[in-house]
This record gives sequence, C-alpha cells and structure tokens, in this order.
Amino acid sequence: MTKYTLKRIGYMMIVLVILSFIMFMIYSLVPANRAYTDAKAEVQAMKNTIPKGQMNQYFDDLYLKYQRMYGTDTENKVVRYLRWVGLAPLYDGSYNGLLQGNLGWSYEKKLPVLDVIKAPMLNTIKINIIATILALGITLPLGIHCAVKRGSKSDQIVQVFTIVGYSLPNFLIAILFIWIFCSKLGWFPPSGMQTPGSHYVGMRKFLDELYYLALPLITMTFCSLGGMTRYVRASMIEALSMDCIKTARAKGLRERAVIYSHAWRNALIPIVTLVVGWFLGIFAGSLVIEEMFALNGMGRLMISSLRAADYDVVLLMQMFYVFMSLVGTLVIDIIYGLVDPRVRVNK
Amino acid sequence: MSKKNNSKTSSNKGVFVTLGGWLRRLWRGGSNDLAMQMEGRTAAAAADVEEIVSPGRQILNNFMERKLAVGALITLILMFVVMFVGPLMMPKYYDAYTEVTQKSIPPTMSMLSVPSQLKKEGIKEIDGFGSFTVGLSNEGNVFVWGSTKIGTTGIDVGDIPEEVKNSKIEMVAAGIDHIVAITEEGKVICWGNNKLGQYGTETEARERGEDPNPNIAYEPEILVTGIDVTRVKKLTAGYQCSAIILDDGTLYLWGNKNAYANMDLFLSLGNIYDMDFTLNYIVGVNGKRNTIYTGSRGLYDVVRPNVDGEAYPAKKYIGKRKVEEIVATSTSMALLLNDGSVCFAGDFPAGMQPAPNLPEGEKFVDIVGGSYHYSGLTDQGNVYSWGSNQLNQTAVPKKLSNVSEIYSGSFQTYAVDEEGGLLGKWGLKGYLFGTDTHGADIFQRIINGGRMTMTIGAVAVIISSLIGIVIGCLSGYFGGKLDIFLMRVAEIFSAIPFLPFAMILSAVMGRSTLTETMRIFIIMCILGVLTWPGLARLVRGQVLVARESEYVTAAKAMGVKESSIAFKHILPNVMSVILVTLMLDFGTCMLTESSLSYLGFGVAYPRPTWGNMLNGANNATIINTYWWQWLFTAIFLAVTTICINIVGDALRDVMDPKSSVEK
Repeated sequence: MTKYTLKRIGYMMIVLVILSFIMFMIYSLVPANRAYTDAKAEVQAMKNTIPKGQMNQYFDDLYLKYQRMYGTDTENKVVRYLRWVGLAPLYDGSYNGLLQGNLGWSYEKKLPVLDVIKAPMLNTIKINIIATILALGITLPLGIHCAVKRGSKSDQIVQVFTIVGYSLPNFLIAILFIWIFCSKLGWFPPSGMQTPGSHYVGMRKFLDELYYLALPLITMTFCSLGGMTRYVRASMIEALSMDCIKTARAKGLRERAVIYSHAWRNALIPIVTLVVGWFLGIFAGSLVIEEMFALNGMGRLMISSLRAADYDVVLLMQMFYVFMSLVGTLVIDIIYGLVDPRVRVNK
Repeated sequence: MSKKNNSKTSSNKGVFVTLGGWLRRLWRGGSNDLAMQMEGRTAAAAADVEEIVSPGRQILNNFMERKLAVGALITLILMFVVMFVGPLMMPKYYDAYTEVTQKSIPPTMSMLSVPSQLKKEGIKEIDGFGSFTVGLSNEGNVFVWGSTKIGTTGIDVGDIPEEVKNSKIEMVAAGIDHIVAITEEGKVICWGNNKLGQYGTETEARERGEDPNPNIAYEPEILVTGIDVTRVKKLTAGYQCSAIILDDGTLYLWGNKNAYANMDLFLSLGNIYDMDFTLNYIVGVNGKRNTIYTGSRGLYDVVRPNVDGEAYPAKKYIGKRKVEEIVATSTSMALLLNDGSVCFAGDFPAGMQPAPNLPEGEKFVDIVGGSYHYSGLTDQGNVYSWGSNQLNQTAVPKKLSNVSEIYSGSFQTYAVDEEGGLLGKWGLKGYLFGTDTHGADIFQRIINGGRMTMTIGAVAVIISSLIGIVIGCLSGYFGGKLDIFLMRVAEIFSAIPFLPFAMILSAVMGRSTLTETMRIFIIMCILGVLTWPGLARLVRGQVLVARESEYVTAAKAMGVKESSIAFKHILPNVMSVILVTLMLDFGTCMLTESSLSYLGFGVAYPRPTWGNMLNGANNATIINTYWWQWLFTAIFLAVTTICINIVGDALRDVMDPKSSVEK
C-alpha cells in the first residue's frame, strides 16, 4: 500500500507540473503587456514634470524597470515559466517564484494574491460546509429510502423530481428561486451577505448572515439533491441485489439489520468517492450561485478577476483547484483500498 | 420479459420489427444479428410455443413499455424538428435585429385588437409610436390597446386619467411612453411616463421642488390654460416629445431635449407648415413648402421618387410643386406633394418593399407612416403599404375598398370608412413570448438559439466521443504502458476544473481577434476536449471485460489484426453503453454551454443561444419585472435537457439485463 501511495504521489506531481506548464502557457497567450501599460501610465502621470525631449528615455527606463519587476524582460516563455515557479533567476540573479513563497500580485487590487483570496475563501468554505452537510443529510436517507422502496409511488415521485433537479442548470434553479422566494413571496433578500450598513455583533450578526445566506444555501442544496439522491439510490440498489443480502434475509435477519448493516456498508464504497469529492469541493465556490447572489466567495472572485484580466489571481486559483482535485482523486483511491480489500489497487 | 406467441409475431411484421431490426443491427452488428436469429429459431422450435426475443427487440419492447420515456423521446424529437426546421420558416429573422421602440414588451397579441367599444362609437383618430396604440372615438372617448405598461416604472398608459374620461377629447397622439390629448375646450392633457420631461410645465416642476432642467423643454403654460382647438392643425408625439401646430404656423414643442438633436432650433422657430418626428431628428416643412427643414445643413436635402430609387437634390426635384404633408418613420420620411405624387428622404435599409406604381388616373391623397413602413390612401379609396415588411406591416388585406381614412400605429395600419367603421387592420399583432431588451422577438430567438445550442452540444459530444472511444479502446485493449500513459493523460484532463477552465479559455480567446464563428467552433472544441475522460474510462472498463470473452479469443486464433479486433469486434459490443453515455453527455454539454454563455464567457450577443438569452436575468428586479425574458427560454432549455435525461436513463435501464429481470 505504501509503495502504491508513493507511486501515485509521484504521478500526481508529474501531472501537476505538466498542468501548471499548460496553464501558464495559456495565460501567456493573452495579448496584454502589463509592464507596458504601467510604464505608459506612469509617464502620463509625470507628463508635466519631465522635459519634453526626454519622454521616450523616461518611458524606456520605466518599461525596463517594470519588465524586470514582472520578470517579463525575456521573450522566452519557458524562462518566464521557470521564473514564475522559482527555478530560474530574475535579472539580478535572485529567485522569486512560487517555491519561494511568492504567490503573485493582484494587478487589479494592488495586493498580494494571498490577501485577495483570503476573505472569499473563508466565506466559500463557510457556505459550502453548511451546504454539504445539508445536502448529505437529505440525500443519504432519501436515496436509501428510494432504493429500499424501489418502484413504489414515493420512489417514482422522487425519481421524477431528481431527474428534473439534475437536468436543470444551477443558474436556472437560482433564477427560479429568486423569482419565487424573493420577488413573489418576499421571504428572503435577493442578494448580499448582510444588511447593508449594519454593524451587528454576536448572535445578531450570525442571525443576520443566516438570513442572507438562507436562499443561496437552499439553492445550492437543491442543486445537488438530484444527482446525489440518484447516485445513492443506484449504489444502494446495487448493494441490495448482492448475494450476501439474500443470505442475510435467508438467515432471518430483521429487514432493518439487512439494510443498514449489510447493504449499507456495501453501498458505502461508491458513496465515499462522492463525499470525499464534495468535501474537497468546498474550497471551490460555486461560480454561478455566488455570482447570482452577490456572495463574496471564490467563484465570484474568479469571475471578476477574469473580467478585469487580473490573471495572477486566476492562475493561482486555478492551480489551487487543480491541486485539490488531484489530491481528491488520490485520497479516493487510497480510501477505496482501505475500505474494500477487493479493490486493492496495486495488483 | 415479454413473451409472445410464435404465430402472432410472424404475422405481426409491422414497423416495429423493421425499426427493431435497424436498431439491432446498429447496436449489435449484422453478423451478431444473424447468429442471434439462428439461435432464436432453434430455441423457439425446442420450446414450441415460446419465442426468445433478440436483445435489440427486447430493449425496444422494454423501452416502449415506459410511457414517460416514450413521451420524452417524442418531445425531444419534436424539439429537434422545431429547432432545425423552424428557422427555415422565418426568412425575415436575423440575429442582430434591434428595435428601440419595441424593447422589453411583455407577451401580448393585442396590438391589433381595436376595442369593440371604439368600433361601436366610430373611429375618429388612431395613433401609435411605440408598443401601444391610442384611439379616439367620434364621441370623444379615448381607448388604449397593445402593451401599455412602461418598463420598470410601473406606469400604465392604459390608466386613462379621470379628467380625460370626463371631457370630450378632440385629438390624441401617442409617444413612446406617453399620450397627449386635447379636449374640446382646448386644454392639453398628457399622461404616461414623465420622468424625462415628456410633459409638465416648468411651474409644475417647481411645485414638485425640482430645479428647472436645461435638458427639458417644458410644456408651454398656454397649453394648460387652453388653446383654440379648432385652430390646431396637427398634434403629434415622438420619442418622449410632443408638438402642436396651429393653422397660423405657430409651433408648440415640448419634451426631452436629449431625444432630438435639433430640438432647440425648432423651439425658436416661428412659422412652420408641417412637422414630424423620426427617431433622432425633428423634420419640418416651412412656409415655402419645397424643402425639408431640419436645422442642420445637408441632412435631408436629397429626395428620391421611391424608397429604392436614385436620389436627387430636393429643391430641384420638387420644383414648383408644394409639399402637402410630411410623414416620418424612424429613419426616413415621405413627402406628399400637391400633384398627388410621393417622394422620400432619409435612410432606407436594403430589402425594403418599394412603393407601388399607381394605375393611370389614381393618386395619393394621404400618407401615414409607422416605424418602418408607409401606407398610402388613393383618391379611389385603395390602400397600399410599403417599406419594411419585417413584422408583416405591408400585408394589406385583399378585399379593401372605399377607404376614406387611414391611420397608423408603429407597426400597424388601420383603414376606416366615412362613418368611422373599421374596414381593415394589418401589421404586427404582438409577440407570443414578448421581446428582449433589444426589442427582438423572443420566440424567434428561442427557435434560432435552440438550433445553436443543440448544434454546440452535438458537435461537442461528437468530438468528445471520438477522443474518448479511441483512447478508451486503445487503453483497454492493449493495456500495459500505453494504458498507464493514456490514463494519466485522462487524469490531467479530468483534474482541470471544468467551468473555470472553459471560462479562462474563452476569456483568453475573447481578447484575441477571432471571428464569432471561429469562437463558437472553439467553444465546441473546448467542451468536447474537456469531457472525454469520463467516456474513455467507461469504454476502457467495458473493453477490459470484453477482451477476455470467447469471441475475442476466437478472433485472435483466426489471426485477425489486433487493431481490428479492438475496433471491429469489441467496440460494436460495447456500443450500447457508449450510446447511453453519449445521450446523457449531450444534455450535459448543452447545460455547460448555457452556463458558460449565461456567465458571459460563451457565445456572445447577438447570436442567440439559450444560455446567453438568459444572461440578462441576473438580478431580482429584472427577474421579476421582465419575467418573460427568461421564463420561456428557461422552459425550452429545461424541457429539452429533462427529456434527454429521461430517455438516456430509460435506455440505460432497459439495456441492463439485470434491472429488467428484477422488476
């Protein structure tokens, strides 16, 4: 198992490096020259203080200065990539890349990327944890119920609802919910994270936040219900049709015990995949829902950074997501191996 | 399991058998089919009464038993037909169509429905500029029809003020969002939207506590106190502006100065014969009656005898003739000369229908203009319409004679006889699904956008399935190093978070100079390239199982080439699973495309897709007030994807022998 894990980690690192290279190259396709715009802006600002003839000289100096600062004083993209990672020296011989802990600079907000990401990340994690718990709390019992009562009226009704749920895009569900719950019924505020201008503390603040987050949470939970319920139901049905269940029933075990201690354990394996994936997914905000409800989270940061061409932020977020997703795959595979001896992956 | 009588089936060689045969051969391959048939026959002979149905037939039978799935399949096929045939039925549709006077109109079909009370009382006058039409009866009552609610303001021009209801009205005119009426006593009453100074005197503004706005030409005070209504020659209203001309050439003009660039010039004008509003300019005819006056030199100083004819200098062309009447549409105007001929000035987009050549001895006595069309009445009582036919404005009914008066709304024409009875009406009835923020018909955009959405989904699925099947087959069949390598590649692709990455790619592309078609093609490729790993893994798994089966061993023993075993022997046997996945992937690709376009990173306006048609609906106000702008599109999108998923699920269930046995 250790050997297998190490091997997987090795693969993972290779994949990560390749992906980061691809990603960096995609970004360098963007026809934007940051050093040039900065130098131009500064020269424009100093227009009146410098003598006329020396404008070009000033501009060239500044341009070089900014190019060196951003590490773009070479046309070679591979060198730029290595500089970004921190494996190639800048013009003065120093190293300043990801490996040195320089995660980038938000051009739009004039802050280190880490500071830009911090607050949205916390919000996203907070929202997603609640949403995940809610979704799991509803889908697991519902899925099991449907699998056990397969073909019954209630199962059929749930089936129809879940198929509708996972056929609709998230933004459509969000639009519908805003329309019904905000515009028609007026139960929830349509957007934002707290009452504007309020400075509540303690319990009051928490309640206010909950009030504002209620609709996004309901929407997120609802969006995941369809797919999850069907998944749980399918794996439970699979488990219930196994021979060991027949044996258990033949032994005369109570139905409850058959379902919850025999079938459920077997159904758990595929579900674990899903749950692990979900918990890793809590770092990535839901793009659509955060955008619709104006929540200050990762998804919204991503969209606004993309719109403002603030690519350092986007690049880092993207790398982070990729990393999380790779770690997720690894963790799932290892858990598989641990949970189910038959799936011993290193054969 | 469906068990049928042998004799019954043999006589029952209907459509289903043929269809089943096709499907079967498609999925299982022809030789397999033959083998199954042989096997089936011998088995049937042994069992004597029971027929063993071939797997393809079994799948079909099982599928047909599921009413929901069959319904969904029919709906889906209908959707496809509508989306791909529908656009052919709309030759007039084009993507970039915009119409400023028809923005955000709710679903209505009432734009031509003249109120019956107005018909009974006799029509005296009808006028329209935007989405609604106002009519005046011979008894002096005002009626409004069409779409009367003004945008997000909550104002309804259909709420006729008490003052108007209680007095006898002599004249009415409709602007884009307000209505002007003159009572018998000469009082001018306006209602509707006045947020931009469409009406109201300066005194009234001061009473409301507002400072006089330099961008507003306030209503002259005299109109409130009353003018001599018998001396009013013309009352007209345009885009947020209104004007009254008296028979001595006095002009009262008021409204939003930002709407008309040359309004100031007209405000100081003393003597005017006639005037009208286009969308951007006020055009007038002064006392000499031989040119178009706009205040800016060279603007409309050439006229043409027909809308598609050559242009001549106005003064020379008109010569000694006099202008009787000027009628403006949004971008052009028609002049009716005193010898009964008509000439035109302004901009005429291509594709306009030319004015008819009248028979000998017939001449025009009246011209009215809508937003893009003209209608002319001749001295014989015949009516002709010409100009733009985008919204059926020029579809004059065949049996129409003895017309004594014609009136026009923005896209409608009404023909009236001497007593004020309505003889005919034609033009735009309304919009089934309303209009969007650009004034385009949502129904037409849904049909055309559906084609685009489905095409993108289909092409993306084809790309992803090609990659997925090839890689899955290779990886599963050959295994070893190749398998490890290909699965790592798949891992790279599936590690990329889908939506963010697609957004980045399209944002990067958006900053480079690509044509829209190229961009759309790249979006299809992105969708396809990012979705193949799932399918590749599935195919690999299936192939891994199939690899060990006897027929593969047999093929190997016969010396069949490895690649041909993988693609010709194994692939057809795992095709059924692949088809189901493709079906479900198609739905997913459509959803992803619409999410991308909704966020503004997919297909861009003006080309419609179901995703970008929804991207206006991003805040509670718009979602609530302009509900028709997202609801209908959403229904189409939802129905299509739900049907795809139901059919896909049902197929998966019926193809899995285990599930059908258990039930």
